[in-house]
Amino acid sequence: MKTSATLRVNGHDFPVEIDPHLSLLKAVRDEIGLTGAKEGCDDSECGACMMLLDGKPVNSCSYLALQAEGREVTTVEGLSEADRLAPLQRAFLEENGVQCGFCTPGMLVSATALLRSDPDPSEDDVRIALAGNLCRCTGYGGIVRAVRSVAAGAGG
Amino acid sequence: MAAIDTAPPPSGFLRSDGKEKVTGAGRYTADLTLTGQAIAKFRYADHPHARITRLDTSKARALPGVVAVVTQDDLPDVRFGGLVQDRTLFARDVVRFEGEIVAGVAALTEEIAVEAAGLIEVDYEPLPAVSDFSAAMEADAPVIHPDLASYEKDENVVADGNTMAYSTIVKGDADAAMAEAEVVVRGRYVSDASQGVPIEPRAVVAEWRGDEVTIWSSTQVPYAAREGVAHTLQVPEANIRIVVPLLGGGFGAKCDLHFEAQVAALARAARRPVKLVFNRREEFTAIAQRREGIVMEFETGVTREGRLVSRRVKLVLDKGAYCGEGGFLGQMAAMHACGPYVIDHISVEAFLNYTNNQPSGSVRAPTAPQVCWGLEQHMDEVARAIEMDPVELRRRTLIEEGAEGPTRQVFDEIGMKQTLERAVEMIGYGRQLPDDEAIGVAVGWWPSGAAPSGAYVHINGDGSGTIVTGAQENGSGAVMAMPMFVAEELGMRPEDLTILYQDTAAANWDMGSCGSQTTFNSGRAVLAAAADVREQLLDAAADELEADREDLELVDGAVRVKGSPDRSVTIGELAGAGTIHGKGSGEVPDAPEGDTGGCVGRFGNETFLAPQLITQAAHVKVDRATGVVRVLKVVAAHDSGMILNRAGADGQVTGGVVMGVGLALSEGTQLDEEGRQRNPALLDYKLVTCADAPEIEVDWIQIPAKDAGPRGSKGVGEPPQVPTAGAIANAIARVVGTQVRQMPMTPERVWAAAREVGA
Repeated sequence: MKTSATLRVNGHDFPVEIDPHLSLLKAVRDEIGLTGAKEGCDDSECGACMMLLDGKPVNSCSYLALQAEGREVTTVEGLSEADRLAPLQRAFLEENGVQCGFCTPGMLVSATALLRSDPDPSEDDVRIALAGNLCRCTGYGGIVRAVRSVAAGAGG
Repeated sequence: MAAIDTAPPPSGFLRSDGKEKVTGAGRYTADLTLTGQAIAKFRYADHPHARITRLDTSKARALPGVVAVVTQDDLPDVRFGGLVQDRTLFARDVVRFEGEIVAGVAALTEEIAVEAAGLIEVDYEPLPAVSDFSAAMEADAPVIHPDLASYEKDENVVADGNTMAYSTIVKGDADAAMAEAEVVVRGRYVSDASQGVPIEPRAVVAEWRGDEVTIWSSTQVPYAAREGVAHTLQVPEANIRIVVPLLGGGFGAKCDLHFEAQVAALARAARRPVKLVFNRREEFTAIAQRREGIVMEFETGVTREGRLVSRRVKLVLDKGAYCGEGGFLGQMAAMHACGPYVIDHISVEAFLNYTNNQPSGSVRAPTAPQVCWGLEQHMDEVARAIEMDPVELRRRTLIEEGAEGPTRQVFDEIGMKQTLERAVEMIGYGRQLPDDEAIGVAVGWWPSGAAPSGAYVHINGDGSGTIVTGAQENGSGAVMAMPMFVAEELGMRPEDLTILYQDTAAANWDMGSCGSQTTFNSGRAVLAAAADVREQLLDAAADELEADREDLELVDGAVRVKGSPDRSVTIGELAGAGTIHGKGSGEVPDAPEGDTGGCVGRFGNETFLAPQLITQAAHVKVDRATGVVRVLKVVAAHDSGMILNRAGADGQVTGGVVMGVGLALSEGTQLDEEGRQRNPALLDYKLVTCADAPEIEVDWIQIPAKDAGPRGSKGVGEPPQVPTAGAIANAIARVVGTQVRQMPMTPERVWAAAREVGA
């Protein structure tokens, strides 16, 4: 039995007809058509599906879409405006924090949440905040550098 | 956890797939949706080894919403495989591992597809399963492929019983030399199987148009996939187009033919597009491409001055149920059991054995990290036996220019010893440390792989250009760097060039993203195509400017007369209304010569072309009470010849080292007695996280390599994982006082080793 709901994603309202058991990840990818968030494990282990829910990072694979009703969902597509990259997105590229890119959307979302709650995190803070996002390509160094390069205390 | 010191990319140049990757706009295979597409699910074997006595798909076919059910009965009666053709797309008569596919279904929704797969009725007669790959060689072991003798196979395959391929590396008379050696050291090491674990689970979408099929696949090897589909479905290669959307990592796990043919068969039966997306469990259990378990028995004879007079090694490798592309693993392992050392006499035997486990295949530097882990611990044991510092032993025994390899290959100028000295310097070897910390050092090597490739470079009327290459971008940036190379040749800006890649309909055959070969071979072809364009531009400009070709230069998107910048013509003007198009392949380097006549089971790795040479050192901290190991720092000094893309190369090392840390400490596939995986999930199969990753320092010993890749380069991508586990192991052994002889070196195993010696 499908249920009518309205999901607010990246500042826009989307009416959807969904099964109550549908995950937020599947609703956003398959019903709304935003495929930036990825499914890597369907088990809250890899972090590729990370979205912000009222500013807090959640593994959207393990979150029901209906639980997100009335709340503000942000995906990687909501991190930049029009054609301009956000400073964090640009830093990921400049610091060699992107290889295959499959973990990148989740990493960016987690890092965005971190920087909003702590504008000047230490390296250890960054590493702990991103520990729920697995990357198999980079060894993480470039990602950590990228986050720190846009932190409030970063020079230049 | 300090920042990594790496050189930034050239100013302003960002990888051209970067923007789509950081905005979420980029499409990976699972992100594609075609009108009318059905969803595929497989029915897997219910036993690791059993005879199918009845297979009834009628209930699945009758389920509303099911649009296709396919079994081997619907397909051509052909087997596939690399060196041995031992497998059919769907099981026929016998299943040989838990992830074997018995049938495929396609349905309107995923839920219906799952239900339909469950409705397929299969009766089995269970057969005795063999999971222990050493026991598989015993005389009374159940035979996994009774028809092995009649299978199509490479003429160099030496098969017997459950041994799919037997290989040896032989130099001189190891037995006689061992008998006379001053000191003989023996060591046995066991590495568990492990997994590549790309974060993107694999996905395939297939759509037929008449007799032609387009397949979007998350493969590292689109041309191998095309060849496999052509062979198994008996369709001409020209009718098959493989397109790879963005690829979410591979690490070897996405090499070989993998499900493209099954999905194409379902799409043909369904008469509509069909999409397959694996869940994480399938990504662990159904792929025929994991890192093999190996049992290693080393024996080295040495003088008290540290001359390696003899080495004998027996290697037993777990092939799993089928050959796939991994038939060469035994021979490759045998070369790594020799290592980059000068050894007077050698006898290495490798047995690559069939079991009822998941098939093994090429995962990043296949066999090397495990064998190197064993060998480098063994070398530290040799050093201890002759009371010599392990670094000093390596200093005396590593290969250098003019030295002979395991098959008497004579090396050109190489930087092996320089990597050792550099790594030792970077880590501060010999300094005082707290008693629960230590530094370990390991060396390793890996061949560069020669293969044909071909490329086109097109220049348009506005001065922009396109590189057309069969190369596959796995994320490393090897393809993304190509505009930099072409721009340098043609006096253009990298951002003026786009890349058409990962589409078998567009470009020439390419080996794909495997064997660290993309820059080595595809880069050579792209540079040859750029040189062809350069010649055409110079010819045209010489006419246009009425100048001698020798006086011309390509700068800032134009050809101009040297010293007279106002006498110039833009390359766009030279292209005019048409297109300037160049093509190139370049010369494929030959394999080095060696004395290989005494070796059997030769598959091309008996000498190492342009060997990549590595020393890594690891600084670890061990909690003796719990066995928990923390890797504080790894330094990596590599000879990969000339480095053409420093940022990309550094990224390969940092990523490879972190994979190596996982292999060393936490990543192991656990099996039950019948070969079923017990930890096919990321909760139980632990990758290294950001919080656990060590500080990493990278440096390169840059010596132009002869007869190698473009501009004196060698390969880059696989070696970083080779010695990491060995370096960590040697550091752990220094703290706990003995070797940890099984990998991964979990807290339990480290604790047990420490307890054994009362540490």
